[in-house]
Amino acid sequence: MDNKLLAQKFIESRRGLVPDSGYRMPRNEVAEGGCGVIGMASNIQIAAKHMLQSLQQMRNRGNGKGGGIAAAGLVAEEFGVTQRVLENDYLIAVAYLDDGVRDELEREFIHAPFEVDHVVVEKHVADFESIVGLDVRPPEVVEYFVRIKGEALEAFIKNHKMENLPKRKVEDELVFQNTYRLNVKYYQSTGEKQAFVLSHGKNMLVLKMVGYGDDVIRYYQIEDMHAHVWIGHHRYPTKGRVWHPGGAHPFIGMNEALVHNGDFANHTSISEYLSQRNIYPLFLTDTEVAVQVFDLLHRTYNYPLEYVIEAMAPTTERDFTMLPPEKQRIYQMLQQTHMHCSPDGPWFFLIAQSDTHAEGGPVYCLTGITDTSMLRPQVFAWQENTLADGTKAAIGFAASEKQGIDAAMESLAETDSRFWTRADRYWNARGGSHTDGGAFFYKVTHSGNGMGITCTDKFGRIIPMPTQTPAFQADSKQTMHPTTKLPSGSADRIFELFKTQITSWSYEQVVDFLSVLEKQENAIDVLTLMMDRRYSTGRLRRSSVLSLIDQSFARVIASLAENEDNNYTCLHLGEPLPEFKDSDQTIIIDARGYESEGDDSVAIAIQQLYAKGFRKYMVAFTKGHRFIGNGLGLNTKGTRIDVYGSPGDYLASGSDGLEIQVHNNGQDQYAQIMKSGKLVVHGDVGQTFMYAAKGGEVYVLGNAAGRPLINAVGRPRVVINGTCLDYLAESFMAGDPLNGGGFVILNGITFNEDNQIVEMDTPYPGGNLFSLASGGAIYVRDPFERVSEDQLNGAEFALFTPEDWALIKPYLQENARQFDIPIERLLSVNGEQRQPAQVYRKIHPHATRALMAEEAWVTHQK
Amino acid sequence: MSAHKTQEQLIVEKHIKTIHAGYNKRADGFFPPSPAMGDFRWTADLIISTYYQAEHGHPPENGLEYRVGKSEGGFDVLDINFLPEDQWTPEEVEIDLSIPLNKRGVGQEIEIPIPIYGGGMSYGSISEQVMQARAKAAQKWKTFFSTGEGGYPSSLVPYKDHIITQVATGMFGVREETIKHARIVEFKYAQGAKPGLGGHLLGDKATSTVAELRESVPWVSLFSPFPFHSVYSVEDHRKHVDWIKTTNPTALVSVKVSTPTDVDMVAVGSYYAGANIVHLDGSYGGTGAAPEIAKKNIAMPIEFAVPKVHKYLASENIRDEVTVMASGGVRTAYDIAKIIALGADGVVMGTSELVALGCTRCSNCERGRGCTYGLTTTDPLLSQFVEPDWGAERISKLYASFALQLKDILRKLGLKNIRELRGRKDLLRYIGNNAKRV
Repeated sequence: MDNKLLAQKFIESRRGLVPDSGYRMPRNEVAEGGCGVIGMASNIQIAAKHMLQSLQQMRNRGNGKGGGIAAAGLVAEEFGVTQRVLENDYLIAVAYLDDGVRDELEREFIHAPFEVDHVVVEKHVADFESIVGLDVRPPEVVEYFVRIKGEALEAFIKNHKMENLPKRKVEDELVFQNTYRLNVKYYQSTGEKQAFVLSHGKNMLVLKMVGYGDDVIRYYQIEDMHAHVWIGHHRYPTKGRVWHPGGAHPFIGMNEALVHNGDFANHTSISEYLSQRNIYPLFLTDTEVAVQVFDLLHRTYNYPLEYVIEAMAPTTERDFTMLPPEKQRIYQMLQQTHMHCSPDGPWFFLIAQSDTHAEGGPVYCLTGITDTSMLRPQVFAWQENTLADGTKAAIGFAASEKQGIDAAMESLAETDSRFWTRADRYWNARGGSHTDGGAFFYKVTHSGNGMGITCTDKFGRIIPMPTQTPAFQADSKQTMHPTTKLPSGSADRIFELFKTQITSWSYEQVVDFLSVLEKQENAIDVLTLMMDRRYSTGRLRRSSVLSLIDQSFARVIASLAENEDNNYTCLHLGEPLPEFKDSDQTIIIDARGYESEGDDSVAIAIQQLYAKGFRKYMVAFTKGHRFIGNGLGLNTKGTRIDVYGSPGDYLASGSDGLEIQVHNNGQDQYAQIMKSGKLVVHGDVGQTFMYAAKGGEVYVLGNAAGRPLINAVGRPRVVINGTCLDYLAESFMAGDPLNGGGFVILNGITFNEDNQIVEMDTPYPGGNLFSLASGGAIYVRDPFERVSEDQLNGAEFALFTPEDWALIKPYLQENARQFDIPIERLLSVNGEQRQPAQVYRKIHPHATRALMAEEAWVTHQK
Repeated sequence: MSAHKTQEQLIVEKHIKTIHAGYNKRADGFFPPSPAMGDFRWTADLIISTYYQAEHGHPPENGLEYRVGKSEGGFDVLDINFLPEDQWTPEEVEIDLSIPLNKRGVGQEIEIPIPIYGGGMSYGSISEQVMQARAKAAQKWKTFFSTGEGGYPSSLVPYKDHIITQVATGMFGVREETIKHARIVEFKYAQGAKPGLGGHLLGDKATSTVAELRESVPWVSLFSPFPFHSVYSVEDHRKHVDWIKTTNPTALVSVKVSTPTDVDMVAVGSYYAGANIVHLDGSYGGTGAAPEIAKKNIAMPIEFAVPKVHKYLASENIRDEVTVMASGGVRTAYDIAKIIALGADGVVMGTSELVALGCTRCSNCERGRGCTYGLTTTDPLLSQFVEPDWGAERISKLYASFALQLKDILRKLGLKNIRELRGRKDLLRYIGNNAKRV
């Protein structure tokens, strides 16, 4: 196909779309803020209801003024059509705000150009006000399954001289322009907003309204609608008293729907870029503009997805120089040509695509892309099961936060034995990078045996997943007479036994072991070690084992709640606060039902209990609960909080003395302005970790996302065993580490599928390490000297002295105690023990002294 | 006190005496203003009349122009349409200048008796003595002043009920206890003097004591980041507010922003994210420490921003749910009245307070030892020139003079209450060079 001709013809043909009344470039009309987003893709068609809990929990990322969902890869029977109709017909979903225009609209925009094969009037809850918080009547939705009439297509081709273009492409363009005209007539040009098109791609559907995303599912009663790809969205618009569903996400191009978290500053200039190509946005939001750019690059210019992503989120700085020369050449051309359509600012897009005519059968795709600077939170996850018949059940996620993913996993696991509660892998994208390109695609395609799914990065590389071992099948039974015998004694001893034996166990044996363990007095301590530590699970899948441990943990907590004793007291939402007995007593807070923030939050409950005298806390079953450990005030030494589940943002912020242990991955903004005390995270942490921290001793088993320790001062001492996305310790000002100041130890290690420690390719992939720092130091484990000078901006490598080793050794010892990462292993390179100075490198600020007359004067006075 | 004074003490005493005498002699007309003093916005007359008010507690009666400057724009070309004398509010009617800082109807009720509180100037940008003076004045007038971004010196704790803790983008000196101290917490997203930039404290002023409170490295310039790295959207901002509310559930939240073209949208977004106060900082504010390129060249003057926000909040039906405070070039009681008539609830003062303490607007603030009067310095010797009690008295008297004039203005407008003046653009008149053409 001649790409150039196609682009020319399409762009020319859109000239007629400029509204007769002229077009006013939107200025200062966008009002997007942050948003909550979740996307999931599976080779198995999944019901919409599994997004409910996730969206419910993320409501604090929206304000109820816009919500929506998109689905791709639907089920024919649910719409009363055949599979052939589903895949070959355009599914035009029209939202009627004013039902009176339906006849007229159908005559002009449905029946004139199309043969209608089937019509579905979307059912909904009779009384919209019965859904709490819904105060704008959602639109009536009618879905038309249509084919383009031969004469309509011929006229279109003739009119626009598209004879030499592929027919399917022309058909898409006809539908696209038909929709555009409909939207102008019934939405944009009139004062009264009467109707607009929700979606028009084949085998995909968008529903949206003024409300929360989860209420869309409830209102249209689509809990049991199934699809391969789902995205859900809460919007947080800030401007306007009157909201219209047309402003809610997702927005559509042709064969894709896009949701967006963030906002960008160059909305007007992108609108101009589009208008030069005869596309005129109608809905006055930056999200619509983003999807139009995507559609233009992908469908009109026919760029492969990799190039589309590059044009939108360009590879810059050091990452660009790390690309192979051929890629550099192409990327440079893309950047130069399309700089004006690259959204500038914080954004994270989720895109659902449907391509029913792809070679080799239909493809449904979920894409997550982050901006180059990674300014919005984003988490990806994957779970895969090989079923007894050899087929796979796999699901990929992309969302604003991990707890949103966990909520969906939990919902799935409840009703579908093919899934369980823990994902096999969680990770973040590194925006605009040479490593993953800041984007991941989940592609659902026909494979030999039904549908399959893959996860690839921007460059098309398949992401390897730790899924070789079989997953637990819920129908496996526990043996009736467990034979496991536990040694008496400490939790460590029992855990050691478990650790050595599990390598040869079956799931049944794990279940047996757990059932015996649950009766032990120190069951919680052993289960905690089993969750936290990395150990070989032999023939079993780690995520499945963890899922079983979670279930066991839940049973133990339930039994403690029933049999409270002097050691444990349990608190559930709504119960009166227990009386304080002695400070050795542990209070267990069941976080389920508590709000994420505000008066009914876990954080406030802890403050109230703290005031009563409680000092030991276990917070179980967290689901995005924020601010845990905040607000306890000065000098909280001697207090310990153990957190289980998926705790939310800002944990340990401002803490002064207390210890918090997070027995899972953490989220964003942990330990902001932390002053002192201890934080241990048995997993990864999210964005802006320890922003402006003043001190504290912090251990992270895994990675930190973007911007850890920015603007930190004082004496924070931090061990990160993995790595960071970028901008580690920018503007670090933590004095002289050898003289009481702060530092970060970056170990650059990870765990292989057998849970053994392995080195990462590089301990630090980003282009900005310790930029503009004026104090403190980074100790990076880098035996192969992979970190180079060009990653440092204002810092330099320094001699690693015995004093440095004496300084960091105690922290590595504590790191070993917390995570079982022995110092000997850290000092071992290719199986050989080395001296610390041969393994660790020290980075400190440039020894420039901005000599000030005043400094000399004051020094002189002393 | 020891009878023997050190040489340093003697020098300081002599300087204080001379400096104080100088302020008064100028104010009383004994010396003419120096030819280099002032600029078109802050004329020599305005500076000297501020000295006068800070000494006497009422406006000068010796012919000094104390109401407007000569900038030929903004406040200086707006006049107030006073009523004929027979329509004035009678003398026996008490005029009320108080404004509420929380209009949401939930949470702590805070009312200040004058529509003024002190704006954020950090420890480091100004001395501890000046902070104490401001704290004492705020306490006396039952109003507030903001810490700025440089920590909370412990000498201020006794005044904590009158101190706004500022959380700014570098979060220097922000600790849980300083958030807990405060009845109002202010998020500083931007400042009018240099929108698009964070706070600046050049190396000269990051002395050992300043660095100690900020826990940074002495003598290294401190450039706060422009954005909060944890806040890139309104949803993050809401979370940020929730964080402060978790740490201090009763605190009111103020959001300080500069005045970009979409300031109206920012104000609405801040309101919906839970702000009690939206503080608009226009482009004429700030000290000499802001870079030349930023000063007065970015963002809108406050006289444009306030009506825009006022109008927009009103059209959203939330104008009476949020307090709008204006700053950035509000110099006199007349400026206060005008900006309130343009739609603000009250004002935030910074520069005027420093002028009350003797600032001549020489714009040498970024230098560690640049301030001859010991205001914008933490130099151990220079900062002794401001004695906190003396300073508090000066600021207090300036407030007294402002209060007196505001009451007079309201009386001449036939109003009883400063809240009635809000948004009454009709009471203003444009008198600039373009007046005929308008």
